[in-house]
Amino acid sequence: MIDELTILVGGIQGEGIISIGINLMKVLSSLGYYTYGQRTFSSRIKGGNTTMIIHVSLEKTMAIPDTIDMMLVLDEETLKDNYHRLDNNGLILYDNILSLKSTLPEKATAIPLPVSKISKEEGSALMKSTCSLGFICRMLDINQKHVSSILIKRFHKKGKKIINQNLQILERVFTYDKETIDQYIKHLNIPMKELNRPLMIGNDSIAFGALMAGCRFVSSYPITPASEIMEYLGKCLPSYGGLMLQVEDEIAAVNMTIGASFAGVRSITATSGPGLSLMLEGIGLAGMTETPLVVVNSQRVGPSTGLPTKHEQSDLFTLYYGGHGEFPLIILSPSTIEDCFHSTIRAFNLAEKFQCPVILLLDLTLSLSPQTIDEFSYEDIVLNRGKLVEESDLRQEAEGVKPYLLTEDGISPRILPGVLNGHHHITGLEHNEFGLPTDNPLNRRLMMEKRMQKLQPLLEEDEIVIRMNNKKNILFLTFGSPYGILERAVAVTGSTVDYGYIKMIKPLPKKQLIQIIKDYDLLVIVENNYSQQLATIIKAEIGNHNKIKSISKYDGTPFTVSEIIDGIEVLINEKYEGL
Amino acid sequence: MKSMKDYSNSINPNWCPGCGHFSVLRAIQIASAKLTIPNEELTIVTGIGCSGRLSGYINAYGFHGIHGRSLPIAQGIKLANKKLTVIAAGGDGDGFAIGLSHTLHAIRRDINITYIVLNNQVYGLTKGHTSPLSGRGFITKSTPYGSTEPPIQPGILALANGATFLAQGFSAFQDQLVDIIVKAIKHTGFSMVNVFSPCVTYNKVNTYQWFRDSLTNLDDITDYKNDDYQSSLNKLVETNGLCTGIIYNKAPDIGSYTNSNLQKPLVELDLKFNKEEFSNIMESFK
Repeated sequence: MIDELTILVGGIQGEGIISIGINLMKVLSSLGYYTYGQRTFSSRIKGGNTTMIIHVSLEKTMAIPDTIDMMLVLDEETLKDNYHRLDNNGLILYDNILSLKSTLPEKATAIPLPVSKISKEEGSALMKSTCSLGFICRMLDINQKHVSSILIKRFHKKGKKIINQNLQILERVFTYDKETIDQYIKHLNIPMKELNRPLMIGNDSIAFGALMAGCRFVSSYPITPASEIMEYLGKCLPSYGGLMLQVEDEIAAVNMTIGASFAGVRSITATSGPGLSLMLEGIGLAGMTETPLVVVNSQRVGPSTGLPTKHEQSDLFTLYYGGHGEFPLIILSPSTIEDCFHSTIRAFNLAEKFQCPVILLLDLTLSLSPQTIDEFSYEDIVLNRGKLVEESDLRQEAEGVKPYLLTEDGISPRILPGVLNGHHHITGLEHNEFGLPTDNPLNRRLMMEKRMQKLQPLLEEDEIVIRMNNKKNILFLTFGSPYGILERAVAVTGSTVDYGYIKMIKPLPKKQLIQIIKDYDLLVIVENNYSQQLATIIKAEIGNHNKIKSISKYDGTPFTVSEIIDGIEVLINEKYEGL
Repeated sequence: MKSMKDYSNSINPNWCPGCGHFSVLRAIQIASAKLTIPNEELTIVTGIGCSGRLSGYINAYGFHGIHGRSLPIAQGIKLANKKLTVIAAGGDGDGFAIGLSHTLHAIRRDINITYIVLNNQVYGLTKGHTSPLSGRGFITKSTPYGSTEPPIQPGILALANGATFLAQGFSAFQDQLVDIIVKAIKHTGFSMVNVFSPCVTYNKVNTYQWFRDSLTNLDDITDYKNDDYQSSLNKLVETNGLCTGIIYNKAPDIGSYTNSNLQKPLVELDLKFNKEEFSNIMESFK
């Protein structure tokens, strides 16, 4: 009996590889297991090899181990590319129409299965995905009825005939050659609780969070890996009276979002690097006009079109320092799918509280990797609209309304268009308290200080989540999806070091970081970019260069667990063994 | 009853004496008074350039944004709160150079806003540079040997792209301009008003007198039919775009977001979902 297992499914893009993976994850999640999936794909629709790796376990894990226990292979390339990762007791299931004999690794057990044959006989070649799912589940000793119920859910719109064909395929799979199959079954331990948990990608969680935060307007432009956010909201917003528009470009997307937000609707736009570059002027406009704005930026490999379907975390400098001129901006950096939900609600609250742009910074792996999650709690949804002025609070002032009233906390009362006696002007030009343009130097200084200092309270907050092991005095810190890999690596190395993630990068939680630098011998930043961007920002803000090190990777793929393990071991040795 | 004064504030525009924009500002104020639009429901969005300052001179909600993006901002505002009367205004550079793509998409989206182009065929605020609407041979600091590119034809462009309301005005024809803007605001789809608004400082070619000599006033043509696509196009070709009046006016697209899709203004929707709705969504991920 085992606690965890890693399964790879591979074939030609368009064969339903991803749907095998997702359905497998749904079956397992419905039985109380935690799953985490990782997909590789290229910028093409059909043809070319594609794989999905699924990790299943009793405990929540947000990483794919380096070795694979079971493979289901629908094309030759999958095997060639991946068998070096196969465990010594690994199992290869393959479609028996492939003639793989020559390339099979010796150490592994390979079982030919009539995947294409059964699919064609009971339905069509397209149903290979159902057949494959069935064989994997059978190898995991999962009851046929659990698989059927997921399939019925999935195909319920396609009609009785399709459902019956799929169920018939399952029947054939579960009665196939009992003698052979039973020898190789991998028995997973039964979870403590048979909870049916949801399965999500980070982008689902962001979209769900936005909906719950009261977001009712989206204008966006499609881009990998952010499109799912506009897709999800576009599908569900109309039933709640809201609206999603696919607009002409990211410039229109951000400006339309700003317009809707100015008018009082919680609004969002989502993009990735190239779109972010186009949005920067608009983000600055929101900063200057003090208009709430929420922008999701899911990072991929740049610059330019870079590697559009690969993972990187290199937009940090652009966001931290970027846009021309200086304006207040908040960067939230969720590291888990649960975090994506909560950070999104927080983003809307912060945008309205501080009347400034808020960036939800994700990365491709976090945006797109499916995962079993613990259900969110309704009670955690708390909405706060900041200093919003009600009509009854307003009287007709002879001198007019001051949308940029200078206040102690730098935040002015906000009045929405349509409010009687509240009409006023706002502008991206430097302006006085009335929102009218002026180049008066004293006014410029006061307005700059108002905008730049209003985020001050956030500097005091604890935004770094640390998991303590209290053995070696080293803290490994990351943001975004590398957190899950870091967590696993630390566990594998015997949990000697502390590790954590930073959930707000701008403003940088200086107070907490200064304490961390005091408390630890070494702070190691783990990130996916060449320039060690987060480490550089932290060094620039708090100094102590000699106590801050980096582990970075920039080849378009996420860290593997062993890469982080190596990093941890090297740094421990350097620090404590004098090597 | 409202008067023009109700829509004026005490600020002295920073435009040159004689600038055509004064007349456009006045026309918007008079039209608003004629329509008795409550000040709190009038929202003016502008781009960058001399024309962009217009939002600061009107007693209403105003958003002076960035160069070329008045239309996305204006559409966002209208989509968020369809009760507002939203007017976007900008120069010819705003609408036909940097923001051209937004102009085309706003036309085909047909959202109920009014777009007023203060068209002086030159970049005034940068102190005299060519515009995509400048005539061939037009000499500026950036075209010292004369502009070699033919100008964009805004009217034909708008009609070709499916505009449901297209009008042109001239700063010197104040009454006609007021009438046009009233009808443009009343139009329930996207209404585009291109106003010849002479720049007295940097455009010595397209002057008030030049326009008086060149313009055809459609109001003087008794049998002109502005609901006929073909004759509207023909008139623009015939006059080389130099005509004023309501060129084309037809019922807006019923599929437009602001006309039929939205029951309630988005700003009036409840922010918070109830627990049951939350749970249903959570369940859908299983």
